[in-house]
Amino acid sequence: MDFFNSIQTSSSGLSAQRLRMNLISGNLANVNTTRTRDGGPYRRKEAIFAAQPMNSEFNKILTDRLNNQTAGVRVDRIYEDTSPPLMKYDPSHPHANDKGYVAVPNINPMEEMVNMISATRGFEANVTALKAAKEMALKALEIGR
Amino acid sequence: MPTDKIFSNTLNTLEKSLNLRSIQHKALSSNIANMDTPNYKAVELDVAKQMAKQNGSLPGLKLVRTKVGHLPIRSDRSDQVTLKAARPPGFSLRGDGNTVDIDRTMGKLAENTLLYNATAQLISKKFKGLKNVIKGGK
Repeated sequence: MDFFNSIQTSSSGLSAQRLRMNLISGNLANVNTTRTRDGGPYRRKEAIFAAQPMNSEFNKILTDRLNNQTAGVRVDRIYEDTSPPLMKYDPSHPHANDKGYVAVPNINPMEEMVNMISATRGFEANVTALKAAKEMALKALEIGR
Repeated sequence: MPTDKIFSNTLNTLEKSLNLRSIQHKALSSNIANMDTPNYKAVELDVAKQMAKQNGSLPGLKLVRTKVGHLPIRSDRSDQVTLKAARPPGFSLRGDGNTVDIDRTMGKLAENTLLYNATAQLISKKFKGLKNVIKGGK
Protein backbone atom coordinates (compact mmCIF):
# COMPACT_ATOMS: atom_id res chain seq x y z
CA MET A 1 0.00 0.00 0.00
CA ASP A 2 1.65 3.16 -1.20
CA PHE A 3 -0.38 5.49 0.96
CA PHE A 4 1.05 4.24 4.24
CA ASN A 5 4.45 4.83 2.76
CA SER A 6 3.46 8.35 1.66
CA ILE A 7 2.07 9.11 5.11
CA GLN A 8 5.26 7.86 6.76
CA THR A 9 7.36 9.96 4.40
CA SER A 10 5.31 13.08 5.14
CA SER A 11 5.46 12.48 8.89
CA SER A 12 9.23 12.14 8.73
CA GLY A 13 9.20 15.56 7.03
CA LEU A 14 6.97 16.95 9.78
CA SER A 15 9.21 15.76 12.60
CA ALA A 16 12.38 16.97 10.85
CA GLN A 17 10.91 20.44 10.29
CA ARG A 18 9.69 20.56 13.89
CA LEU A 19 13.13 19.70 15.21
CA ARG A 20 14.54 22.46 13.01
CA MET A 21 11.96 24.84 14.46
CA ASN A 22 12.95 23.80 18.01
CA LEU A 23 16.58 24.61 17.26
CA ILE A 24 15.61 28.01 15.82
CA SER A 25 13.55 28.80 18.95
CA GLY A 26 16.55 27.75 21.04
CA ASN A 27 18.81 30.07 19.05
CA LEU A 28 16.43 33.01 19.43
CA ALA A 29 15.87 32.35 23.15
CA ASN A 30 19.61 32.24 23.77
CA VAL A 31 20.51 35.29 21.75
CA ASN A 32 22.00 36.91 24.88
CA THR A 33 23.24 33.83 26.74
CA THR A 34 26.84 34.39 27.74
CA ARG A 35 27.41 31.19 29.74
CA THR A 36 26.52 27.61 28.92
CA ARG A 37 27.27 24.35 30.70
CA ASP A 38 30.46 23.93 28.62
CA GLY A 39 31.58 27.48 29.46
CA GLY A 40 31.68 30.27 26.91
CA PRO A 41 28.69 31.81 25.15
CA TYR A 42 25.85 29.86 23.51
CA ARG A 43 26.60 28.63 19.99
CA ARG A 44 24.04 28.74 17.22
CA LYS A 45 22.64 25.29 16.29
CA GLU A 46 21.32 24.14 12.94
CA ALA A 47 19.82 20.85 11.74
CA ILE A 48 21.39 19.12 8.72
CA PHE A 49 18.89 16.95 6.83
CA ALA A 50 19.55 13.72 4.95
CA ALA A 51 17.29 11.56 2.80
CA GLN A 52 16.40 8.16 4.22
CA PRO A 53 14.64 5.20 2.57
CA MET A 54 11.40 4.52 4.44
CA ASN A 55 11.49 0.70 4.37
CA SER A 56 13.37 -1.37 6.87
CA GLU A 57 13.36 -4.74 5.12
CA PHE A 58 16.33 -5.43 2.90
CA ASN A 59 14.30 -6.45 -0.13
CA LYS A 60 12.13 -3.38 0.03
CA ILE A 61 15.16 -1.15 0.25
CA LEU A 62 16.71 -2.93 -2.72
CA THR A 63 13.63 -2.46 -4.92
CA ASP A 64 13.39 1.12 -3.81
CA ARG A 65 16.96 1.75 -4.81
CA LEU A 66 16.46 0.03 -8.15
CA ASN A 67 13.11 1.43 -9.22
CA ASN A 68 11.97 4.42 -7.34
CA GLN A 69 14.21 6.53 -5.25
CA THR A 70 11.55 7.92 -2.95
CA ALA A 71 12.74 8.68 0.52
CA GLY A 72 11.74 10.24 3.80
CA VAL A 73 13.92 12.67 5.64
CA ARG A 74 15.83 12.51 8.89
CA VAL A 75 18.01 14.90 10.81
CA ASP A 76 21.51 13.71 10.02
CA ARG A 77 23.27 15.79 12.64
CA ILE A 78 22.96 19.02 14.55
CA TYR A 79 25.60 21.44 13.42
CA GLU A 80 27.01 23.82 15.97
CA ASP A 81 28.22 27.11 14.59
CA THR A 82 31.98 27.50 15.09
CA SER A 83 32.26 31.15 14.15
CA PRO A 84 33.85 33.29 16.89
CA PRO A 85 31.47 35.01 19.32
CA LEU A 86 30.88 38.74 19.12
CA MET A 87 32.83 40.79 21.65
CA LYS A 88 30.72 43.42 23.34
CA TYR A 89 32.17 46.10 25.61
CA ASP A 90 30.38 45.91 28.95
CA PRO A 91 32.79 46.13 31.92
CA SER A 92 30.02 45.84 34.52
CA HIS A 93 28.93 42.43 33.19
CA PRO A 94 29.97 39.55 35.51
CA HIS A 95 31.20 37.53 32.51
CA ALA A 96 33.38 40.31 31.13
CA ASN A 97 37.06 39.49 30.61
CA ASP A 98 39.89 41.56 32.09
CA LYS A 99 39.62 44.11 29.23
CA GLY A 100 35.91 44.59 29.89
CA TYR A 101 34.61 42.66 26.86
CA VAL A 102 31.82 40.07 27.05
CA ALA A 103 31.56 37.23 24.51
CA VAL A 104 27.96 37.14 23.24
CA PRO A 105 26.56 34.53 20.81
CA ASN A 106 27.04 35.26 17.12
CA ILE A 107 23.34 34.97 16.25
CA ASN A 108 21.67 37.10 13.61
CA PRO A 109 17.97 37.34 14.57
CA MET A 110 17.01 38.21 10.96
CA GLU A 111 18.60 35.00 9.69
CA GLU A 112 16.77 32.99 12.36
CA MET A 113 13.44 34.60 11.42
CA VAL A 114 13.98 33.73 7.76
CA ASN A 115 14.85 30.12 8.68
CA MET A 116 11.77 30.03 10.89
CA ILE A 117 9.50 31.03 7.98
CA SER A 118 11.19 28.42 5.79
CA ALA A 119 10.62 25.73 8.44
CA THR A 120 6.97 26.81 8.84
CA ARG A 121 6.34 26.59 5.10
CA GLY A 122 8.08 23.21 4.94
CA PHE A 123 5.90 21.92 7.75
CA GLU A 124 2.76 23.23 6.03
CA ALA A 125 3.72 21.62 2.72
CA ASN A 126 4.14 18.28 4.49
CA VAL A 127 0.78 18.70 6.21
CA THR A 128 -0.84 19.31 2.81
CA ALA A 129 0.76 16.17 1.36
CA LEU A 130 -0.35 14.14 4.37
CA LYS A 131 -3.91 15.43 4.18
CA ALA A 132 -4.01 14.65 0.46
CA ALA A 133 -2.81 11.08 1.09
CA LYS A 134 -5.51 10.60 3.72
CA GLU A 135 -8.18 12.04 1.46
CA MET A 136 -7.13 9.78 -1.40
CA ALA A 137 -7.11 6.67 0.78
CA LEU A 138 -10.58 7.51 2.13
CA LYS A 139 -11.85 8.06 -1.40
CA ALA A 140 -10.51 4.64 -2.39
CA LEU A 141 -12.33 3.10 0.57
CA GLU A 142 -15.59 4.54 -0.74
CA ILE A 143 -15.38 2.38 -3.87
CA GLY A 144 -18.23 -0.13 -3.90
CA ARG A 145 -20.14 1.51 -1.11
CA MET B 1 -14.50 -15.02 -19.92
CA PRO B 2 -18.06 -13.77 -19.62
CA THR B 3 -17.06 -11.36 -16.88
CA ASP B 4 -14.93 -9.51 -19.42
CA LYS B 5 -18.14 -8.37 -21.08
CA ILE B 6 -19.62 -7.09 -17.85
CA PHE B 7 -16.62 -5.27 -16.54
CA SER B 8 -15.07 -4.44 -19.94
CA ASN B 9 -11.74 -2.69 -19.92
CA THR B 10 -12.92 0.25 -17.89
CA LEU B 11 -12.19 -1.15 -14.46
CA ASN B 12 -8.84 -2.49 -15.54
CA THR B 13 -7.73 0.87 -16.90
CA LEU B 14 -9.07 2.79 -13.91
CA GLU B 15 -7.33 0.42 -11.53
CA LYS B 16 -4.03 0.99 -13.29
CA SER B 17 -4.58 4.70 -13.13
CA LEU B 18 -5.23 4.55 -9.36
CA ASN B 19 -2.09 2.54 -8.84
CA LEU B 20 0.10 4.87 -10.87
CA ARG B 21 -1.34 7.93 -9.16
CA SER B 22 -0.66 6.49 -5.72
CA ILE B 23 2.95 5.87 -6.77
CA GLN B 24 3.15 9.43 -8.07
CA HIS B 25 1.80 10.66 -4.72
CA LYS B 26 4.53 8.75 -2.92
CA ALA B 27 7.17 10.39 -5.12
CA LEU B 28 5.71 13.85 -4.54
CA SER B 29 5.53 13.34 -0.74
CA SER B 30 9.14 12.28 -0.85
CA ASN B 31 10.09 15.47 -2.70
CA ILE B 32 8.14 17.61 -0.25
CA ALA B 33 9.68 15.90 2.79
CA ASN B 34 13.13 16.47 1.31
CA MET B 35 12.64 20.07 0.20
CA ASP B 36 15.52 21.18 2.46
CA THR B 37 17.79 18.13 2.17
CA PRO B 38 21.17 18.93 0.61
CA ASN B 39 21.92 17.01 -2.61
CA TYR B 40 18.45 15.44 -2.80
CA LYS B 41 17.33 14.93 -6.41
CA ALA B 42 13.58 15.26 -7.00
CA VAL B 43 11.77 12.31 -8.60
CA GLU B 44 8.40 12.02 -10.30
CA LEU B 45 6.29 9.73 -12.46
CA ASP B 46 4.82 10.62 -15.85
CA VAL B 47 1.42 9.01 -15.24
CA ALA B 48 0.06 9.67 -18.73
CA LYS B 49 3.12 8.18 -20.40
CA GLN B 50 3.06 5.11 -18.13
CA MET B 51 -0.64 4.58 -18.85
CA ALA B 52 -0.02 4.76 -22.59
CA LYS B 53 2.91 2.37 -22.25
CA GLN B 54 0.91 -0.18 -20.26
CA ASN B 55 -2.18 -0.01 -22.43
CA GLY B 56 -0.58 -0.20 -25.82
CA SER B 57 2.28 -2.50 -24.94
CA LEU B 58 3.01 -3.80 -28.45
CA PRO B 59 -0.19 -5.72 -29.32
CA GLY B 60 1.55 -7.83 -32.00
CA LEU B 61 4.08 -9.28 -29.59
CA LYS B 62 2.73 -11.85 -27.19
CA LEU B 63 4.55 -14.65 -25.45
CA VAL B 64 2.88 -18.02 -25.78
CA ARG B 65 3.12 -20.79 -23.20
CA THR B 66 3.88 -23.96 -25.14
CA LYS B 67 4.50 -26.16 -22.12
CA VAL B 68 2.64 -26.50 -18.86
CA GLY B 69 5.77 -25.77 -16.86
CA HIS B 70 6.30 -22.35 -18.45
CA LEU B 71 5.93 -19.47 -16.09
CA PRO B 72 3.11 -17.10 -16.97
CA ILE B 73 4.16 -13.71 -18.26
CA ARG B 74 2.64 -10.73 -16.64
CA SER B 75 3.45 -7.73 -18.73
CA ASP B 76 1.04 -5.39 -16.98
CA ARG B 77 2.89 -5.17 -13.71
CA SER B 78 2.23 -1.57 -12.85
CA ASP B 79 4.23 -1.76 -9.63
CA GLN B 80 7.36 -2.12 -11.72
CA VAL B 81 7.43 1.46 -12.90
CA THR B 82 10.59 3.50 -12.80
CA LEU B 83 10.55 7.04 -11.53
CA LYS B 84 12.37 9.66 -13.50
CA ALA B 85 14.26 12.66 -12.24
CA ALA B 86 11.96 15.66 -12.02
CA ARG B 87 12.73 18.75 -14.04
CA PRO B 88 14.95 20.95 -11.88
CA PRO B 89 13.89 24.58 -11.42
CA GLY B 90 15.08 26.68 -14.35
CA PHE B 91 17.00 29.09 -12.22
CA SER B 92 18.10 28.31 -8.71
CA LEU B 93 20.08 30.38 -6.26
CA ARG B 94 20.53 27.59 -3.74
CA GLY B 95 23.94 26.01 -3.86
CA ASP B 96 23.16 22.77 -2.01
CA GLY B 97 22.43 20.56 -5.04
CA ASN B 98 18.75 20.11 -4.16
CA THR B 99 16.49 20.01 -7.24
CA VAL B 100 13.04 20.20 -5.62
CA ASP B 101 10.86 22.89 -7.19
CA ILE B 102 8.40 23.27 -4.31
CA ASP B 103 5.80 25.38 -6.18
CA ARG B 104 5.63 22.94 -9.05
CA THR B 105 5.53 19.99 -6.64
CA MET B 106 2.60 21.43 -4.69
CA GLY B 107 0.74 22.09 -7.94
CA LYS B 108 1.37 18.56 -9.10
CA LEU B 109 0.24 17.24 -5.72
CA ALA B 110 -3.09 19.05 -5.99
CA GLU B 111 -3.56 17.87 -9.56
CA ASN B 112 -2.68 14.29 -8.70
CA THR B 113 -5.04 14.22 -5.71
CA LEU B 114 -7.93 15.56 -7.78
CA LEU B 115 -7.37 13.08 -10.59
CA TYR B 116 -7.03 10.20 -8.11
CA ASN B 117 -10.34 11.16 -6.50
CA ALA B 118 -11.96 11.50 -9.91
CA THR B 119 -10.76 8.02 -10.90
CA ALA B 120 -11.98 6.52 -7.64
CA GLN B 121 -15.34 8.17 -8.24
CA LEU B 122 -15.51 6.73 -11.75
CA ILE B 123 -14.91 3.22 -10.40
CA SER B 124 -17.52 3.81 -7.72
CA LYS B 125 -20.08 4.95 -10.31
CA LYS B 126 -19.27 2.01 -12.54
CA PHE B 127 -20.11 -0.37 -9.69
CA LYS B 128 -23.24 1.60 -8.88
CA GLY B 129 -24.32 1.25 -12.52
CA LEU B 130 -23.74 -2.52 -12.44
CA LYS B 131 -25.65 -2.79 -9.19
CA ASN B 132 -28.51 -0.87 -10.72
CA VAL B 133 -28.63 -3.27 -13.65
CA ILE B 134 -28.47 -6.31 -11.35
CA LYS B 135 -31.36 -4.99 -9.29
CA GLY B 136 -33.31 -4.28 -12.47
CA GLY B 137 -33.48 -0.56 -11.84
CA LYS B 138 -35.48 -1.02 -8.65
